[in-house]
Amino acid sequence: MNAARHSAETVLEASGVTMVFGGLTALNDVSLSLPEGRIVGLIGPNGAGKTTFFNCLTGLYTPTRGAVRLRGKELPHDPAKVTTAGIARTFQNIRLFPNMSVLENVLVGRHIRMRQGPLASLFHGPGFRRDERRAREKSLELLEFVGLRGVEDEVARNLPYGDQRRLEIARALATEPDVLLLDEPTAGMNPQETEDARQLIFRIRETGISVVVIEHDTKFIFSLCDTVSVLVQGEVLVEGSPDVVREDPRVIEAYLGKPREEVEAEVAEAAAHHGADHQGPAAGRRDDA
Amino acid sequence: MTTLLQQIANGLVQGATIGLIALGYTMVYGIIQLINFAHGEVFMVGTFGALAVYRWVLPESVQDQWYVALPLMLLGGIVVAVVVAVLMERFAYRPLRNAPRLAPLITALGVSVALQEVVRLWFPDAEAAQSFPRVFVDAQVDLGPVQISATGLLLIVVSVVLSVLLQTYVNRSRMGRAMRATSQDRDTARLMGVNPDRVIVLTFVLGAALAGVAGVLYGAHLNSVDTNDGFQTGIFAFTAAVLGGIGSLRGAVIGAFIIGLIKTLGGQYLPGGTQYDYVWIFVVLILVLVFRPQGLFGEAERVRA
Amino acid sequence: MTRLTGFLPPALARPFNAVGAALLVIAALLPWATFLLNDGAFPDKATLQFFDAPLAVTGFRWQLLLIGVAALVLAFVRIPGQGRVLRALGWGGLAIGVVGAIFIASEGGGLGAITAADGTTAFGSIVAVLGGVALVLGSTALGIPDIPDWPTRFFGLSGWPLRLAAWVVLVVAFGGVLYLVSLTLTAGGIGGAADPYAGPIFLAFLGFAGALLGALHGAGVTRWVSRLSEEHRGFSILVLVACAFALPFTEAGSQYWMQVAATIGVYAATAIGLNIVVGLAGLLDLGYVAFLGIGAFVAANLSGAGASALGWDLPFPVAALIAAAVAGVFGAIVGSPTLRVRGDYLAIVTLAFGEIFYRSAQNDIGELTGGASAIPGIPPISMFGTAFNEPLELFGAELPSGVLYYFLIVLVVAAIMAVFANLKNSRMGRAWIAIREDEDAARAMGIRTGKAKILAFLVGATLAGLAGAIFVHKLGTASYESFQFLESVTLLAAVILGGMGTIPGAVLGASLLFVLPEKLREFDEYRLLVFGLALILIMRFRPQGLVPDRVRRAELAGETAMGKSIEEAEEQAVLEHEEALSAQKEDRR
Repeated sequence: MNAARHSAETVLEASGVTMVFGGLTALNDVSLSLPEGRIVGLIGPNGAGKTTFFNCLTGLYTPTRGAVRLRGKELPHDPAKVTTAGIARTFQNIRLFPNMSVLENVLVGRHIRMRQGPLASLFHGPGFRRDERRAREKSLELLEFVGLRGVEDEVARNLPYGDQRRLEIARALATEPDVLLLDEPTAGMNPQETEDARQLIFRIRETGISVVVIEHDTKFIFSLCDTVSVLVQGEVLVEGSPDVVREDPRVIEAYLGKPREEVEAEVAEAAAHHGADHQGPAAGRRDDA
Repeated sequence: MTTLLQQIANGLVQGATIGLIALGYTMVYGIIQLINFAHGEVFMVGTFGALAVYRWVLPESVQDQWYVALPLMLLGGIVVAVVVAVLMERFAYRPLRNAPRLAPLITALGVSVALQEVVRLWFPDAEAAQSFPRVFVDAQVDLGPVQISATGLLLIVVSVVLSVLLQTYVNRSRMGRAMRATSQDRDTARLMGVNPDRVIVLTFVLGAALAGVAGVLYGAHLNSVDTNDGFQTGIFAFTAAVLGGIGSLRGAVIGAFIIGLIKTLGGQYLPGGTQYDYVWIFVVLILVLVFRPQGLFGEAERVRA
Repeated sequence: MTRLTGFLPPALARPFNAVGAALLVIAALLPWATFLLNDGAFPDKATLQFFDAPLAVTGFRWQLLLIGVAALVLAFVRIPGQGRVLRALGWGGLAIGVVGAIFIASEGGGLGAITAADGTTAFGSIVAVLGGVALVLGSTALGIPDIPDWPTRFFGLSGWPLRLAAWVVLVVAFGGVLYLVSLTLTAGGIGGAADPYAGPIFLAFLGFAGALLGALHGAGVTRWVSRLSEEHRGFSILVLVACAFALPFTEAGSQYWMQVAATIGVYAATAIGLNIVVGLAGLLDLGYVAFLGIGAFVAANLSGAGASALGWDLPFPVAALIAAAVAGVFGAIVGSPTLRVRGDYLAIVTLAFGEIFYRSAQNDIGELTGGASAIPGIPPISMFGTAFNEPLELFGAELPSGVLYYFLIVLVVAAIMAVFANLKNSRMGRAWIAIREDEDAARAMGIRTGKAKILAFLVGATLAGLAGAIFVHKLGTASYESFQFLESVTLLAAVILGGMGTIPGAVLGASLLFVLPEKLREFDEYRLLVFGLALILIMRFRPQGLVPDRVRRAELAGETAMGKSIEEAEEQAVLEHEEALSAQKEDRR
């Protein structure tokens, strides 16, 4: 695994992905490459097209132009086949199977790695039982891994919010992916839960899985990722190591509004010149986004 | 050739009836995403309401004066249909507004069965088909090689006129705008000061009134009504609404005329004759739902993620 | 923990419970009708005078007395789940009172029949209603506790003694169920002219049985037994099948009831098949009876019926397998639009297929269905040299004709139950449930949702086809009229009434929906009306059905993924939205 990290062979490669809805270009020529065993972050303001990009990667959308390759092989535009090929994802607004138990949720994740046909499902022979037992063991291991051991018989919808996110990750890991796509894994979490999530993602990388993370929380992304891409209005603005991205003035302007010093200076100046009818530039930015 | 034209004329008359009902289907589905199976029964109830007015309200002296009888019967049919529709919205559907979608659908089936039975059991002699009076001008109009009954012609005219009026109302009036807003996004509409309950009731009222008109004219056209006419015609109307693109008023009416033509022409020219005319409509329904679920005039839905 | 409290302050709970219970006891001893009804005396000495013959109490009065005495005891003795138990008893007493009152009043000509007329008084039913209401109010004021949990390891037993003890419990429990089923079937006798009071007696008995089961459920007994039976699954199945086979040896073992039971079996088997499609995969099918019909017509044409154009005569097992396979193929065809159509639209597609089948069968398509004249003269099933419509002698007992069909359908239903349970707990079943819960997420897990959905239709239709083959032999005629749209709705209603996704639910639902019309034949006129109203009321008040699935329970009871009620969640969403909007306005300002 470490050897792979040194050579950093590219696992997932999206090139020139463009997505047009009606007349609206949601993504324009977006490329991203994910080296083996790395964590790549994708940040950008609301509506920048992050989730749309994920949907293109996982085959939920068929991109207008461009291709997605996993280890050099072009991926089909069918979520089920993409998952089978080795890409798993979580959803921005958690989408568990709410009325199934925690364990059953993970077992559904094992679906494509199980070897029982319809007839075996019907008769529950010895082969079936072996398969089922192995799937259970594997699922329980995963629940242990994400820290949900002991609640496997709870109904998923009864879990606390943070645990639901972890369950979603366990379910995704159950498909035995090469690449894991996490869509805002810390949305709505408190600092402690966020820190736990960060550690969990590091541990996932340790097992050799490469990760792409979408996040709002820039602090989280910069402390987590090996490289970060900034997506603004459907285009990649900057790509590079967290340090590079953090300091890039274009990013600061596009993503955070103008640099704080500049904003403060402007406000002070404006207050002096125009009196009270001035609008804060940051607020103006937000409305545009 | 004469047969073809005659069947086209028959198809248009049937389409006019179906169209008036389809408007109600499409409006209700557009606003609360409910397939209101009982809407066909609203049509049937309207027919029987008018029949009741004719039998027990109109003095015998005016029964054969259509300019008196027809408006009063229309009024009776509309009132009964609207009352029934409002009651079912209030007591059957509204409590389920936030339930899983299966629940209102099955409730609609229950309402449909119950309404049919109520009329069959308690409308005098309704166990068998009832004769409906010829209230309108009892004549055949010659249109070249084609003959069409005056009532049939009236049906077509009324259907087209009412659908245009409805379209105008929905596009122009304040309430119409509220309806369109509610069908887009109920919660946002609520935030903008629209009262969704009122809009939904209004939708049921409008749909029921049109179904009531259809019921009265349909009865007058066929001179016979039966308690189980509603369900079948209702399904045809639903097919028409789907064919035209659910939510589209213009689509519903055009879809209805197409369905009417399929029925009469299919019964005439396709194998199996009139015994299979229903089958062709259902085949069309399946084909449309599978290959163009947005219908002729609807927009495709985007996948959510 | 107490979740729900009633209209009354808790302090009034005990007085209300005690008075309510006492009223029920008194009602059982009071006269119920002031005079003889048109169809003869109301059964169980309804004109009995107060305390004339307290020990002569029988039938529904005896049941009411039992409920009353039990409630009276429980009003003062604390037990776990007390509020629930008392509430169930209260509803039961209320039901018995209401049924009696409505029936006597409507048959006997008005309120005089149940109050005072011709110098006699008969307030029994009214007192029962009052008692029931008081008990329901009192018990809810007491608080409705969670259902208590009983350990499945009890009395400190372990190993074989524990296993034996559990087995005894299971035998007793299932034996009790058998006894109850037999009593329910025969309660009030056959409807119609023979037993003019079959309807009210049967309904009153349902009230009693409901109260009994409700009380046991409230006390945690049924849950305990079902846990035990899960832990001893093999043994439970054995006992259950044995009990089903024992039914002909009970009161219910007459030709008539065996026929009714076999018919119920056919519909139960079909309902379980439908339950795979609707309950597990979440695909609404409004034309399901077509598959029963396809199975029926295929079997009819392969079984040497004189009227069949095909005229083949195959042995029953072969014909049944072919019928099932053909129905399965049609199931896959009907299911194939699921690749593109979702939700309500799918329901309409299935409805359209059902109607196409019905119309085609009505018009004798390909001379395969007989059209309006049906296919009569289908010979009974004959295997091992025995025709299935013959009576049977077994263990010295003379069993009526039709009992062999009953045995056959019991085996088939048991097999279909096993199929359902096995599928539900497999990779395939989990995939179906996942699709039902969230189709996009299921696809993201690599499930080929299209294939899975078609497979659900295929399996369900196959089971229905098999049931159809038996159905048509038992009936002797295959007519398109048996496969109307309304039958599809009834099957769907059976699945929903019983509880979606569960086996006992489908069986219970099918039983109720097909026994009730038999019993209430004097109300045959109103059958469909009641059915329609019942659909509305079930969806309004108990959409999760009588035996809810753990998994399904919350979903139909209107709770969201977060465990909140949907209304609450929606309200919150609206609030948040409003906050966001006003925040934006603030920003702009």
